[in-house]
Amino acid sequence: MSESIEVCREDELPPGAIRLVEWDEIEIMVVNCGGELLAMEDRCSHDDGSLAEGDVDVAACTVECPRHGAIFDLRTGIPKTLPAYVPVESFPVTVADGVVRIEVD
Amino acid sequence: MATPDVIAEQDALKGINADYTERYGFHDAENYLFKAPKGLTRELVAKISEFKSEPEWMLEFRLKAYDYFMARPMPTWGSPMLAEVDFDDIHYFVRASDKSERSWDDVPDDVKKTFDRLGIPEAERKFLAGVGAQYESESVYHQVNEALEAQGVIFMDMDTALREHEDLVREHFATIIPPNDNKLAALNSAVWSGGSFVYVPPGVQVEMPLQAYFRINTENMGQFERTIIIADEGSYVHYVEGCTAPTYSSDSLHSAVVELIAKPGARIRYTTVQNWSNNVFNLVTKRAVAETDATVEWVDCNLGSKLTMKYPSVYLMGERAHGEILSIAFAGTGQHQDAGGKIVHAAPNTTSNIFAKSISKDGGRSSYRGLLEVAKGAHGSKSKVVCDALLLDETSRSDTYPTIRIGEDDVNVGHEATVSKVGDEQMFYLQSHGISEEEAGKLIVNGFIEPIVKELPMEYAVEMNRLIELQMEGSIG
Repeated sequence: MSESIEVCREDELPPGAIRLVEWDEIEIMVVNCGGELLAMEDRCSHDDGSLAEGDVDVAACTVECPRHGAIFDLRTGIPKTLPAYVPVESFPVTVADGVVRIEVD
Repeated sequence: MATPDVIAEQDALKGINADYTERYGFHDAENYLFKAPKGLTRELVAKISEFKSEPEWMLEFRLKAYDYFMARPMPTWGSPMLAEVDFDDIHYFVRASDKSERSWDDVPDDVKKTFDRLGIPEAERKFLAGVGAQYESESVYHQVNEALEAQGVIFMDMDTALREHEDLVREHFATIIPPNDNKLAALNSAVWSGGSFVYVPPGVQVEMPLQAYFRINTENMGQFERTIIIADEGSYVHYVEGCTAPTYSSDSLHSAVVELIAKPGARIRYTTVQNWSNNVFNLVTKRAVAETDATVEWVDCNLGSKLTMKYPSVYLMGERAHGEILSIAFAGTGQHQDAGGKIVHAAPNTTSNIFAKSISKDGGRSSYRGLLEVAKGAHGSKSKVVCDALLLDETSRSDTYPTIRIGEDDVNVGHEATVSKVGDEQMFYLQSHGISEEEAGKLIVNGFIEPIVKELPMEYAVEMNRLIELQMEGSIG
């Protein structure tokens, strides 16, 4: 059953900014990549640590794991470099009435 | 006439690799175009990039890697000897020649003489499809068989590849080993220089090996080559690397990064005969990806160095991919060989083998450190890990650190480990057949490593046996 979770107001997520939300014991990072809002599980599949403290490449829409350097595609959750090789979950993002929401199920 | 210095050097080498100094441990006079002062700075990293007239993205890559290197602590696992590495006491960049030549006649005389003495041009004429020779920080010679070149095979040093095939390099560079993977990979990413770039087009079979030879000449030198091998669909290539350095009383550092990409149905074999002098820290990151139906084989022979920490890895990313790691480590006086391998089964019906053999003598220490991982979903995977250690005396040491992680039920995984000592009965049996004690010891060791040595090309197998014999001299009795 799909569920819609409120993240923040749209103006609280300017380009380059990250917001974290928790749903069902999963941390989710919501990123503004040059105007495109993207949501992905905040977990490196290599060591299960957080990704949100890593560098976000706004042009490529990727995040680099701060511990071992694996790069994840924020649009799909697929790792683009080792040492991570298992994708993490990504989530659709919607904006309505100035409020950012993610769809989870 | 031996000088006191030479006699002292010979004493220091007593008992191991007895003629190393004569055969490999010599050094040339330093007629360099540039030699960086000791120590690593942000400015030096930028200067290396400027020297090489690199594109902006590579300069940014290096500087970011420098920050990673400075921020990361030294690993606390592995060997206590790691604490002896002094990053401030190393020359990070030494330029011996201003370009990589395609004819030995154009290589500076001193450098050419060194490679002549090591037998490289002769080997090239006899049984190699291409040769790369790196002296200090950069390649001085690279040549590939014309017929292969006509088929589209690229075999050149990494600096030249970055200039001539920038898009191909950029597409693959650091995708297998990112700069922040570990401290030494970050260091290599910041100051990398030289190494090989190999691309084999779809379906092309490179029947004879390509060889790269790495030579350190300067005292307190750091060599940081960067190698990428891409075997496109259905192709095959065998790459062989060898390395030596002069024997000095202070330490040098060799820290390479090697990335292999075997596309669907391709096969890459990567053979190393590591014979650094016993004052070299050899801290290397090697990793491969094998796509659907592809095979990657690492044949890794470690004889030299003060400390080697090296665990070649294969990530089996496509269905039915196969990975193979054959490892020999030989540790003598003052040496620690911390070797092994890692295999990750990330796709169904993938197969792998790790065969590791280590020999310790005269107080040397060898360790097997390995990982076997079967990811969730990699059903039907099969793997066998065998690690055998041979101790030649009471003062030597062997350790095994195997890690196995299995995330799937429907798999077949085997692990065997043995530690044995050359027994009195074995020695007595051979000696009762009229074989001397020393010969008997050599026979036992050669029999122990034979399953791996037979996988080497014939010329290297002969060299390997000779090196093992040298290591064994004077060790029994």
